[in-house]
Amino acid sequence: MSLDYVKATPGFEKYMPKDYRDLIEHGPFGKKVSVAQVGTFKEVLEEHPMCAGCAMTLFIRLSLIALPNPEDTITVGTAGCGRLALSQAAIPFVYGNYGDTNAVASGLKRGLMTRFPDKTKDVVVMAGDGGLADIGFSMLMHSWFRKEKFTTIMLDNEVYGNTGGQESGMTNKGSVLKMAPLGKKFEKIDMPDLAKTAGCAYVAVVVPNNPRRVEQSIKKAVLIAREVGPTYIQAYTSCNIEYAIPTDKVMEDAKNVENDRYQFKEYITEDAKQYLAEKWGYKEYAKKAIQTTEVAK
Amino acid sequence: MYLVANIDPQICGATSCTLCTQFCPEANTIQYDKVRKTAFVAVDRCKGCAQCVWVCDNMAKHHAIKMIMIDQLPEEFASKLTKTMSYEQEDLKSSPINK
Ligand SMILES: Cc1ncc(C[n+]2csc(CCOP(=O)(O)OP(=O)(O)O)c2C)c(N)n1
Ligand code: SF4
Ligand code: SF4
Ligand code: SF4
Repeated sequence: MSLDYVKATPGFEKYMPKDYRDLIEHGPFGKKVSVAQVGTFKEVLEEHPMCAGCAMTLFIRLSLIALPNPEDTITVGTAGCGRLALSQAAIPFVYGNYGDTNAVASGLKRGLMTRFPDKTKDVVVMAGDGGLADIGFSMLMHSWFRKEKFTTIMLDNEVYGNTGGQESGMTNKGSVLKMAPLGKKFEKIDMPDLAKTAGCAYVAVVVPNNPRRVEQSIKKAVLIAREVGPTYIQAYTSCNIEYAIPTDKVMEDAKNVENDRYQFKEYITEDAKQYLAEKWGYKEYAKKAIQTTEVAK
Repeated sequence: MYLVANIDPQICGATSCTLCTQFCPEANTIQYDKVRKTAFVAVDRCKGCAQCVWVCDNMAKHHAIKMIMIDQLPEEFASKLTKTMSYEQEDLKSSPINK
């Protein structure tokens, strides 16, 4: 897990598959790549079996591009659609049992801090709404209460997509699904608010139809989790199979849902702002930090 | 036979906005050719979802992408498979975190 691991053994380069050589020569490792440059460098995500046109696929693709240090990152996932892609990226991936992701990530991050005290190793959980808001709920909440320093990303398709359409805590009230034929009786869980209350240093709600914003939010979340505290991103990643969205209308749906109930929201603590401003040169927070001190005086 | 996305290099090349590249759900699929100033599709990776068509029609408003049968691809694009593709990235900077 360092830049050395994306190299071919000398003398063996020409025997490596083209995809692998492309990754070594044109991949993002050790370089600064951005969503604006896609199509000109080799992305770490390989071919995978997620459905055609799935918004979750797009979101995962964008997230992997946004990681500030892909060569020093470990992703943690679990049962659910997202792991089908996450496990096919050139980034070490840990498959937690369904519900276990945030406990696994807690141990992993602490282990990495002990083993590599002088290096930064990022841990990023990416799991479904069922995996985080239902079955993994207690481990998710407790990782936040304990202020574990890693990022949690919810791939919120508002359904159990991988198992054929059961309702989750994140399904909207009234939604009728294949395996919720009477419609959901309860409200969608307000996870961003719970994340704030539980002590997250950064919380963002995003949609994949704004790639640059996805990128900026993920960067901030991963950086803040290094030193300030836990961070949470919730992304609307529609399931075009269970919600019967034609694949060429997936972005139109995302736009409508964004306007309806998934507006961009961002919450960031004062400590996190100061950290981003001082350590990573975020100008927008530098100003605000000064204003707050002036008011305090 | 199945459908894949095909980009008209004449229409795309007029602006080459690179918007579709950012919205294709599949990685390393819509690539950008800086020399010919056009986006192109690595057809062996395309899953035929037509999301790029929607993006080019409705967001970019350039109407440069059509879904066509894989055996109807024009010769130049039929050769764009992952194994014949090249990447261009002269302006990538090294990451500040890795210094
Ligand atoms: C402990 C346990 N219970 C149930 C399952 C079966 N299971 C696999 S995927 C899945 C649903 C995943 O839904 P979600 O987490 O919302 O992700 P999505 O597939 O929608 O992306 C379930 C219930 C399992 N693998 N492990
Ligand atoms: S089942 Fe739904 S969420 Fe899962 S890959 Fe297919 S479209 Fe995406
Ligand atoms: S959106 Fe259309 S015009 Fe823009 S790069 Fe893609 S194909 Fe070309
Ligand atoms: S049809 Fe879908 S998979 Fe194919 S290039 Fe367009 S957006 Fe990508």
